[in-house]
Amino acid sequence: MVDQDRVRPAVVEVGDGAAIPSKSDIGLFTAWRIAFVGAIGILVVLTITKPDPYLNILKFVPDGILVTFQVTVGAILLALVIGLVAGLGRISSNRIINGIASLYVEIIRGIPLLVQLFYIYYALGRFVHVPDMASAIIAMAVCYGAYMGEVIRAGIQSIPKGQMEAARSLGMTKGQAMRHVILPQAAKVVLPPIGNEFIALLKDSSLVSILAVADILRRGREFASESFTYFETYTVIALVYLIITLFLSKLIGIMEERISAGS
Amino acid sequence: MNLVRRTLMVLTLAAVCLTAAVPRQAEAAGRTVTVATDATWPPMEMVDANKKIVGFDIDFMNAIAKEAGFAVQFKNTAWDGIFAGLGAGRYDAIISSVTITEERKKQYDFSDPYINIGQILVVPKTEKATNLSGLKGKKVGAQIGTTGAFEIKKVQGVELKNYDEIGLAFEDMAAGRIVGVVCDEPTAAHYALQKAEYKNKFKIVGKSFTAESYGIVVKKGDKELLALINKGIKAVKAKKVDEQLRKKWLR
Repeated sequence: MVDQDRVRPAVVEVGDGAAIPSKSDIGLFTAWRIAFVGAIGILVVLTITKPDPYLNILKFVPDGILVTFQVTVGAILLALVIGLVAGLGRISSNRIINGIASLYVEIIRGIPLLVQLFYIYYALGRFVHVPDMASAIIAMAVCYGAYMGEVIRAGIQSIPKGQMEAARSLGMTKGQAMRHVILPQAAKVVLPPIGNEFIALLKDSSLVSILAVADILRRGREFASESFTYFETYTVIALVYLIITLFLSKLIGIMEERISAGS
Repeated sequence: MNLVRRTLMVLTLAAVCLTAAVPRQAEAAGRTVTVATDATWPPMEMVDANKKIVGFDIDFMNAIAKEAGFAVQFKNTAWDGIFAGLGAGRYDAIISSVTITEERKKQYDFSDPYINIGQILVVPKTEKATNLSGLKGKKVGAQIGTTGAFEIKKVQGVELKNYDEIGLAFEDMAAGRIVGVVCDEPTAAHYALQKAEYKNKFKIVGKSFTAESYGIVVKKGDKELLALINKGIKAVKAKKVDEQLRKKWLR
């Protein structure tokens, strides 16, 4: 399933994240602007013209936004660490390390995230007592670590072989060459796909609502189940997610431009 | 040409008459009522080992249908969206341990009450609190959108955790993440007193602290179905079938 030997081109792995606009892509840019301004506009108009229920829903959601961010940021940081280990493991010449890393990637990519969440939270919860928030973050990180590992592996493999050879011929050890020559270059390559993963993880974090973690979606469901305002509530929830992801994709786009301008 | 047109007209007329006649006939012979239930609330409604939906409510609904002369088809539906589904016309009625509340009555119509129950607190055996307010600063679980969840919310200082299914709340209590679960008394008894893996871990605290009645829910203004169901409930109660069911499912 995974083509581990193929060297990928510099732009790797198109994730599930929102499209990242760049200055050269004027069509995308306006689409982004229409969506972003439109979403905020609709939300503002709704809350002003119909404060009940829209304003009430909007007041109910914010602590859910905080929880969603906590889960997303916590999970992405942990996933980066796991991904770096898994990615380096996958290009390792040591057969055992390589095997373990490959097995991890294959297993995790073969099980739906929702099932993994249930498994880590409820099934393993029987034996290991981890607080709910930490459990949700770990579950998300274990899953995204596998995808992150693939991004990092592809990023490293996109650096020409000559770089390693040159560094080695200067007398560096393999580890030194990796740390000082290969990884800094690879970091630049993997940043855009990691940005995509970040946004994808934020969206997927809505799944933790099944673990009774009070994120944006869970807050919305709580509101809807008491007030029976299903249409209104899920409209607000969708708009809130949309505004957040659009904002982040723009931010990542700007960051990316800065980095490529700097090189 | 004329002949063709005339035959067509006759045929159309016949078809119109037929389609108009069919519903009326079906009504008289007994219609099929689709009833939603969230089969995660034992012993009221649950899925047994044969993947069949069983429980007090199911037997009760079947008894009503028999008395009132209609057929029932059950539809297992997640609680979270069970009211929305009724509003969207995915089924005609809900029987799923639905407590009759003022809030819900504003949006939907309820049958006559068919059983009285109350909310009760279940805690781990080691817990010393004697009621909900004794659990201040701690997390207590309930199923989302249930009267149990509303009761926890009323108590200042107790953190409510909302689960999709009540079974997940009990499982989380077994894992030590929460220190209490509030749900209907029969369901609490099922989990705390009968389930082998929970019997040694959990206990019921005191008596039920609310007085609630279950009703069957129909769409706002569906008077015809409501009358049919109420007629059935009356007959079932008159024949004391409900007491037999109580003995069968609730102890």
